[in-house]
Amino acid sequence: MMQDYFFIQSQEQFTDVRTRSQYDLALSLAKSGKAVSILLVQNAVLSARKKVDSPNVDALLSHAVKIYADSLSLQQREISPQQLNTSIKPAQLDIVISAMLNGDKVIWW
Amino acid sequence: MKILQIVEQAFRTLVEEQDDTILWLTQSMAGAGADAEVLLSGNAVYYATMKQRQPAVRISDWIQQEPADIPQDINRLLNQGIPIYVLNDELAERGLDESMLHDGIKAIDKQQLVSLYNRMDQIWQW
Amino acid sequence: METKKLTFAFMDPPFENERTITFFRILDAALDQGADIQVFAYEGAAALAFSLQKAHGNSVHHRDEVQEAHPLTKDWIAALQNKAKQLGVNLEWVNCGLCVDERGVNASIPGCKRGSPADLWRYASESFNTLVIGTR
Repeated sequence: MMQDYFFIQSQEQFTDVRTRSQYDLALSLAKSGKAVSILLVQNAVLSARKKVDSPNVDALLSHAVKIYADSLSLQQREISPQQLNTSIKPAQLDIVISAMLNGDKVIWW
Repeated sequence: MKILQIVEQAFRTLVEEQDDTILWLTQSMAGAGADAEVLLSGNAVYYATMKQRQPAVRISDWIQQEPADIPQDINRLLNQGIPIYVLNDELAERGLDESMLHDGIKAIDKQQLVSLYNRMDQIWQW
Repeated sequence: METKKLTFAFMDPPFENERTITFFRILDAALDQGADIQVFAYEGAAALAFSLQKAHGNSVHHRDEVQEAHPLTKDWIAALQNKAKQLGVNLEWVNCGLCVDERGVNASIPGCKRGSPADLWRYASESFNTLVIGTR
């Protein structure tokens, strides 16, 4: 079975240096032909704001990686949908369950 | 069902279980029939190079009797037939190299990591 | 429609990290989608179901225990158990027994059992999918 990848990113690029290699891996998986999605949760949504310099996120978006941001995490941080990077969509956590029920490889970062 | 166990949190070994808890959990699950492989990632790549038991902690007049023994944990996993991998880039960025690896641990590159992920049914990132 | 089982492994203690909130929200979302849920609580997460958790007042907020309505993870588990029952799906919860012992949190709320990593493997092998949320 061809399984897609669904990553839940809870770490943020400003202090968690691991995010760079994590996004490199996601990019490599996408380049290998896999469908890859990433849900930003908790402080990871800080990367979703417009004007944030995030070359890793830009590279992922340019390789058809879908990126979502958890609505509650955005709301907590008073980041409105209008303030989001236009390529990142707000989402409810039910997309995690949909990915699991779809048989995706669901991985928490 | 094949599982990749990714161990990333290193050196909590002196208190929790006097062990690395995920290496321990993997041994226990394998004993119950799990088909697992292990990737030592992040600072846990150090586990792949360790030669000695952890130092015993002394707190006042309390002295640790059974500090964790990472090389033994690694041996037990390998003896159970569980492959263990490290990323060579993660070794290099920490000033380590393949020549320092415990016998039986395989260094892989980023392309092989992608293949490893694709070969697994589930990835458990601890 | 066939009900699919999902397994979740979680490692964090009740009050120290935002992961706890996200984890419980994910469980809630799984029930909403009609999944049977199996949870393996490892290390600090073994205290999530500890029945002696106690709400308290907060003098800085000038509120007593009732007014403060402090969140307790044992109550969240109970709420999920009730929701599962209402929806007719199963919620199983196993605490790592050794983790429970070393923390002295043996007194779990009803419906949360004691187990071992063999239970995690049993859960995972009989589930459609598994999500592991490690500590950081």
